[in-house]
Parts: sequence; structure tokens; C-alpha cells
Amino acid sequence: MEKETMIRLEGIKKRFKTKAGELEVLHGVSADIKKGEVFGIIGLSGAGKSTLVRCINLLERPTGGKVWLDGVELTALNDKNLREQRRHMGMIFQQFHLLMQKTALENVCFPLMISGVPKAQAKERAKELLELVGLADRMESYPAQLSGGQKQRVAIARALATEPKVLLCDEATSALDPNTTAGVLKLLKDINERLGITIVVITHEMSVIQEICDRVAIIDGGLIAEEGTVEEIFRNPKTKIGQELVLHEGTNREAYTGRLPYCYRLVFKGGSENEPVLGQMMIETKGVANILAANTRTIDEQAYGQMVLQFPEEKELRNTMIKYLTDRGVVVEEVEYV
Amino acid sequence: MFKEGMLELVGTGFVETLYMTLASTIFAYIIGLPLGLLLVVTDKDGIKPVPWLNAVLGTIINIVRSIPFLILLVALMPFTKAVVGTVIGAKATIVGLLVAAAPFVARMVESSLKEVEKGVIEAAQSMGASPFQIMTKVLLPEAKPSLLVGGAIAITTILGYSAMAGFVGGGGLGAIAINYGYYRGQQDIMYMMVILLVVIVQVFQELGMKISKRTDRRL
Ligand SMILES: Nc1ncnc2c1ncn2[C@@H]1O[C@H](COP(=O)(O)OP(=O)(O)OP(=O)(O)O)[C@@H](O)[C@H]1O
Ligand SMILES: [Mg+2]
Repeated sequence: MEKETMIRLEGIKKRFKTKAGELEVLHGVSADIKKGEVFGIIGLSGAGKSTLVRCINLLERPTGGKVWLDGVELTALNDKNLREQRRHMGMIFQQFHLLMQKTALENVCFPLMISGVPKAQAKERAKELLELVGLADRMESYPAQLSGGQKQRVAIARALATEPKVLLCDEATSALDPNTTAGVLKLLKDINERLGITIVVITHEMSVIQEICDRVAIIDGGLIAEEGTVEEIFRNPKTKIGQELVLHEGTNREAYTGRLPYCYRLVFKGGSENEPVLGQMMIETKGVANILAANTRTIDEQAYGQMVLQFPEEKELRNTMIKYLTDRGVVVEEVEYV
Repeated sequence: MFKEGMLELVGTGFVETLYMTLASTIFAYIIGLPLGLLLVVTDKDGIKPVPWLNAVLGTIINIVRSIPFLILLVALMPFTKAVVGTVIGAKATIVGLLVAAAPFVARMVESSLKEVEKGVIEAAQSMGASPFQIMTKVLLPEAKPSLLVGGAIAITTILGYSAMAGFVGGGGLGAIAINYGYYRGQQDIMYMMVILLVVIVQVFQELGMKISKRTDRRL
């Protein structure tokens, strides 16, 4: 079943005027984000991720292209109507951006008050939301009295106050430690599943994408390099940047990006328990492969192991080895040598 | 040491000084606060950029601020006369003080408001807040501690100006110091006024800082 579109980006361009001249950061980005999905946008620092997400709620006016939210073209609206539409989109930030002089409760009330909800009613709703994010006991605390994870939870509650259709998250977990990150991501996934809110996640960490996203777009140099389901991208990243991001964390990145000849990338289901296949292969084919990088990942509760190996120079032996692996269900693909 | 009636004179001076200072501070804020807000809002990075208005306001403020206070006071005399009917005494001084202090207050307010993190303003915008809502519900409340410190500085500065106004017929402690101390050579009276002024400045400064600290939720 084809899902309906929630956010539609069409040829988004953004050019900044700087002292050094004009700088085009986005060169025409198009994307279709479906209702109810968690859509990831990943890229290296400076790729234009924040700029792109800020173009979705028009905190940044695109210099070209169009943005639609649930069938309404935002780029065609006047200020007043745009403000109206923005209430359908919550946003959370890396640095939380809470009102420092207001309590958690008042922070969550804020978007309700500005949209004209009576105070008592706003308070009721804010309390419910703070309970939802697990902060029932910290309602009267000021942001300065809360930990990073708690602040982000307040920010999430605040973003959800106006019952938005979409939640935009710009590096929402980048300022948090791994444990706190896991908690916040779980909360976001929960919100997506229970409330059906479409979520757009901006990150530079593949682990975040794997944790909660359904589909992902890789942005590089102001363009979408590739796009697909998380599983597709993970199993078979087609672009160099995709390969780099997938195998990035804690691995030998240089080897991976193809500085060595005869390198192959292996992906096998089942994680590390399948690694004996490799040993078997080396014993049976008498070919030795050099492990350059290896890791295990979990996508949709399915473990995947992946490795980058350097194979021997003789073509025949190499082919025997590869055949041995592919026969046993391992995906093998050559890493382009440059 | 003092002649009879001296205590009464000083008492009146003290009350006059407080009256001039507080009244002109209030008036200066009535003008300066909106002006400061306008400066921040119409800035090129502000929530509603209006470059020409920003430039005009900035220029007027700079011009008024660059005129030495005593000269401004004298130059304003015709205006003062038209407004309060006289050019001497406490009431007349208030007019001069508020004209001199309003641009100064505007700049202080501007700098306080600019301390509010841009991200917080953006968060409010992302929720659909209008520029007016951002002014009243984000900028002013978030900058409150800094505005209070600014208020204390403004009061003490205006107090200093009010003492200076004694030279051109203003009332209060400054006038007593100048009339008795300077013109009649009664140094003890002059020193007493100086001490009194110092004490008042200290009290306002401390009070302002204390209130600001107490109400600041950033710990
Ligand atoms: N207001 C601005 N004026 C000028 N240049 C800008 C502005 N905002 C962003 N840029 C430039 O646009 C490029 C992309 O920035 P952006 O913040 O979108 O990157 P990012 O992918 O979010 O990076 P990070 O992971 O570091 O947050 C950068 O080169 C940045 O310097
Ligand atoms: Mg960014």
C-alpha cells in the first residue's frame, strides 16, 4: 500500500549571503516523507542537514523550490498563515532551547498559550505531556536544574503540546551520552508508534538512524546522494559517502574508502555467530584475507555483521573465495579502488 | 557643626534627589524600553528586520548620547520651560534627565535583550509565535535578570546626572553640595552630600543586583 505524503520537498535550494560572497548550501533537494514514518537525514558535518530541516518549517526561507506539509504549500503562505501551519510541526534541537526563566511545566504550556489555549486547560495538557515523557516529578523544576536528557524530554513534551503532525529533530541526541541517547530515541520511537506522528531525524550518526528510522536519505554536498529503507542503505550503500557513513563508526575508514586494492565488503545476517564462515572459507580455499574493518549492527531487531576484507591478488583464488562466501548467503561486493 | 535648619535642608534635598532620580528613571524606561525592543526587533538579524528604522533610531540615540549632559540640559531649557513652566528645580531637572537617560536606557535594554539566545527565539518561532508574542513572552521575560541589573546601573547613573544638574539650578543633594560646598566654601557640607550620594548609589546598586540574582532561574 502506497502511503500518503506528509512532507514534500521539491528542488529545495538555499543560498546564503556571506561576507566572502554567496554560498549555495543546498543545490536542489527533493524528498517525499510519508505519513507516520520516521525519516532520517544523515550526512557529515557541514553537509547542509540543519539548513535542510530548517527549510521544512521555513525558519530558513529556501531561495528556490517548494515545501508542502500535508498538502499545504508552505512556501506560498503569508506570515500569519505560516505561523498557523507551524503549529502542526514541533521541533527539537541539539541545545534544547528551553525558556530558562520558566519551569518545565511553563515551558510546555508556552506553545499552548501562544495559540490561545486557556491557562487551566494548557496546564492540564502540559501535565499529561510531562507524564508521557517521564517527568511527572520534575514539573516545577527550572531547566538549569535538569540534566541534558531531562531537558530534551521537556523539549519533546513542548514540541508535542500543540498535537503536531510532524516532529522535526535536529541532532536531538548529539549533546547526550549514549545511555541518555538510547532513552530519548526510545521515547521518540514510542511517540511515533503510539501517536502516529511523522518524525524527521537529522543526525550524523548511523547508529541513530538504525535505532529508529524507517527510511533514510544521505545528504552530501547539498544534494541527496542516496535514499532508501534503512535496511537497503545498510546492506548495500551505493555511494561512497553511503559506504563511509555505514562503516564509519569505530572502524578503519581509510581502508574502507578504497585506498587499497582488492577490497570487498561482506554483509551477513546473524551478526558475529556467522563469522566462522570466514575461517572455514580460508581453510577450504587456502586463500588468506586480511580483515580491515568489522562490526555488527542491529536493524529492525535483526543482527547484521559486516566486514571489509582485502583479498589476495590472484584473480582465480579470489573468485573461488568469493564464490564460497556467496554460496553461503554472504553478500559480497567490491569496494571501488581509487 | 551645622547651622540650625541644616538637617531640614538636607532632608528636603535627599527627598528631592530620590524623587528626581526615580521619576526620571521611570520616564526614561517608558521611552527607553520600547525603543530598546524596537532596536533589537528591527535589527538585520532581528525577528522583524526593518533596516531603515533601525538606522534612524540608532543615529538619533547616538547623537543624543554624545551631547554632554550639562550642555544638553541647557540646550533643552526652552523645551523644559514649555513642558513644566520653569527651568529650575527638581521638576525641570526631570525633563532634562529623562531626555538624557532614555537613549542610554534604550542601549542598555538592547544589550540585555541581545543576550537572549537566538535558539530560544527560533524555538518560539518554530511553534508559530508572532513577533509581538516573542517580544512579550520570550525576549522580556528571558532577559529579566539582565534588565534588572541594567535598571540598577541606570538608576545610579541618573542619580549622578541629577547631582550634576545642581550646577544649572536643579534641586536635590547635588545642588546643596554645589551651593554650600562650592560657592560658600563649606567643605564639610560638600563631603556630607558626597557621602550621602555614595550611600544611595550603593543601596540602589546592591538592591538591583540582589533582586536580579534572586529572580534569575539559571542558578
Ligand atoms: N546563516 C548562515 N549563513 C552563512 N552560511 C551558513 C549559514 N548557516 C549555515 N551555513 C553554512 O551552510 C553549510 C551547511 O550548514 P549546516 O548547518 O546545514 O550543516 P550541518 O549538516 O547541519 O552540519 P553539522 O552536522 O555540523 O550540524 C555550512 O558550510 C555552513 O557554514
Ligand atoms: Mg547541524
